[in-house]
Amino acid sequence: MSIETRFNEFKAAAYAPGKLLKQYKAEGKKVIGVLPYYAPEELVYAAGMVPMGIWGTNTKTISKAKEYCATFYCTIAQLALEMMLDGTMDDLDGVITPTICDTLRPMSQNFRVAMTNLHKMPTIFLAHPQYRRPQFGLEFTVAQYTNVRKELDKIAGHEMTDEDIRGAIKVYNKYRQARREFVKLAGEHPEAVSAVNRSAVLKAGYFMEKPEYTEKLNELNEELKALPASNWDGIKIVTSGIICDNPVLLKIFDDNKIAIATDDVAHESRTIRVDAAEDGDPMMALAKQFADEDYDVLLYDEASNKNRRGEFVANLVKESGAKGLVLFMQQFCDPEEMEYPYLKKALDDAGIPHIKLGIDQQMRDFGQASTAIQAFADVLSV
Amino acid sequence: MSIYTLGIDVGSTASKCIILKDGTEIVGKSLIDVGAGTSGPARAIEAAFESCGMKASDMAYTLATGYGRNSLENIADSQMSELSCHAKGASFLFPDVRTVIDIGGQDVKALHIENGAMVNFQMNDKCAAGTGRFLDVMAKVLEVEVNDLGDLGAQSTKRIAISSTCTVFAESEVISQLSMGTDKRDIINGIHHSVANRVVGLVNRIGVQDRVVMTGGVAQNKGIVAALEEGLGHTVYTSPLTQYNGALGAALFAYQKALRNVNK
Repeated sequence: MSIETRFNEFKAAAYAPGKLLKQYKAEGKKVIGVLPYYAPEELVYAAGMVPMGIWGTNTKTISKAKEYCATFYCTIAQLALEMMLDGTMDDLDGVITPTICDTLRPMSQNFRVAMTNLHKMPTIFLAHPQYRRPQFGLEFTVAQYTNVRKELDKIAGHEMTDEDIRGAIKVYNKYRQARREFVKLAGEHPEAVSAVNRSAVLKAGYFMEKPEYTEKLNELNEELKALPASNWDGIKIVTSGIICDNPVLLKIFDDNKIAIATDDVAHESRTIRVDAAEDGDPMMALAKQFADEDYDVLLYDEASNKNRRGEFVANLVKESGAKGLVLFMQQFCDPEEMEYPYLKKALDDAGIPHIKLGIDQQMRDFGQASTAIQAFADVLSV
Repeated sequence: MSIYTLGIDVGSTASKCIILKDGTEIVGKSLIDVGAGTSGPARAIEAAFESCGMKASDMAYTLATGYGRNSLENIADSQMSELSCHAKGASFLFPDVRTVIDIGGQDVKALHIENGAMVNFQMNDKCAAGTGRFLDVMAKVLEVEVNDLGDLGAQSTKRIAISSTCTVFAESEVISQLSMGTDKRDIINGIHHSVANRVVGLVNRIGVQDRVVMTGGVAQNKGIVAALEEGLGHTVYTSPLTQYNGALGAALFAYQKALRNVNK
């Protein structure tokens, strides 16, 4: 099978998740929608159900969700609700609503009210603790995850066992490892992995069943490993932000010979940095996995005055061999907006050029972004 | 034998061309007041050739820039972003330039130049405030020509505060001022400072260094230039060729590329 054929398989899943949802239902499976961020998807898998990530959409505009949402909610959250209201998600058997940012906290109640009033699907509330590392934080996370576990059991119609969860953790660790390896290989072989294809491969992971996805991704990784050393003569950058999965926007990078060396994107690498322990109490293992997450604008950092995250991102650029960073600033994303001055300072201190592109998921014209990206390529070529 | 190159700047509101001889002498130019997606680019190219009695086959290299730069695939040999071209053009006109401010129809750009090359830049967010479009909207409400704004604003005797945050709300403010009988010239002066306030914030993000040069059509508005000088605390230089600056930069890059082709 050619690499291009493999990319097309991932693209089919990434660009048409609705088709997969229908397929899962036709196969008699139960499917749970999972909103961002850090939901313990392993529990869905352990319950014998299929988790599908919901990170908005690039193909719809907000209409029905306006009834529930403030204007200043990000388009990711609003379009997620839009799809739950307009029938796109009607086949879901439930949805997990994490509350880790200022928009998702109230949105969790918008989802609950809307889904309850319209008799669509159960919503499963999930509140992560701010202090995730001390013992009381770990216990709080376990308590919250236990609530999620019980709600999932109700939807599944049977109780998952600890052994089921340990099995799910193993599946997810392999999934994350394959994704990390792909990110590394894509950065090493931009001549073979375009920015558009890189994104499609990573996005497909939110929709495909994990064992099948991991198997296909490992096969792709093996082919990439077998390639001769890259002869790439373009520019490499690191991407940062919440999400940048619009193929029209990413094609601008490909057209200007700008490759993504690695990323600091919530939808991509931020979710796959940490694995969970495969033995011991599996609920505590998942809580510890969340506690071990770091360098994310959404997570509380006791040492935030040291700008550890800014330095981490600057080091990511240096170590990846990239020449600069492109920040995709999601409109109305308070955490990213508030953090930007600190990120900028760390990048400036490290002498790393960067640009900030304001985006949202309703954008269809990328003329201004195209100009900025092309100009950035010119700056990096000086 | 001389090398002739053509630079085409297809902006959002105007199409501009420059024909250069040997990368040093401007022998032809044109400007048509409509831009990307219109007949403007084709008419501008035709007018540029007419202005110097030349034809497309005389051009060693043609380079497109501006918002509509990708629409000239059959005409241009290649394309570049207008930021790089404005940096190039401004460095040609003012060799010691360090800061370029370009206010276009829908974009505002601030460029930091070192040794003639752009090393940093900032663009406006997706918002019309502070752009040429903002001035177009205001001129329409005030029933004056956009080209007359500079002279009218210079006759102002007092400063009216106009919001610098949103074109739509600023338009409402202007209508409100008009209904109160405020002198149009004072409103125009307020509009100039509104634009300047927005642009000053953007320029300060990259750091202002002399010499500061303003390019693009809006640089012809003396009121904006004066308000920018006041806000920045630096002298702002302009050129009679300000509207052609992007096309000039494109023609200069085209000359470099033509030389490379000759030397191959």
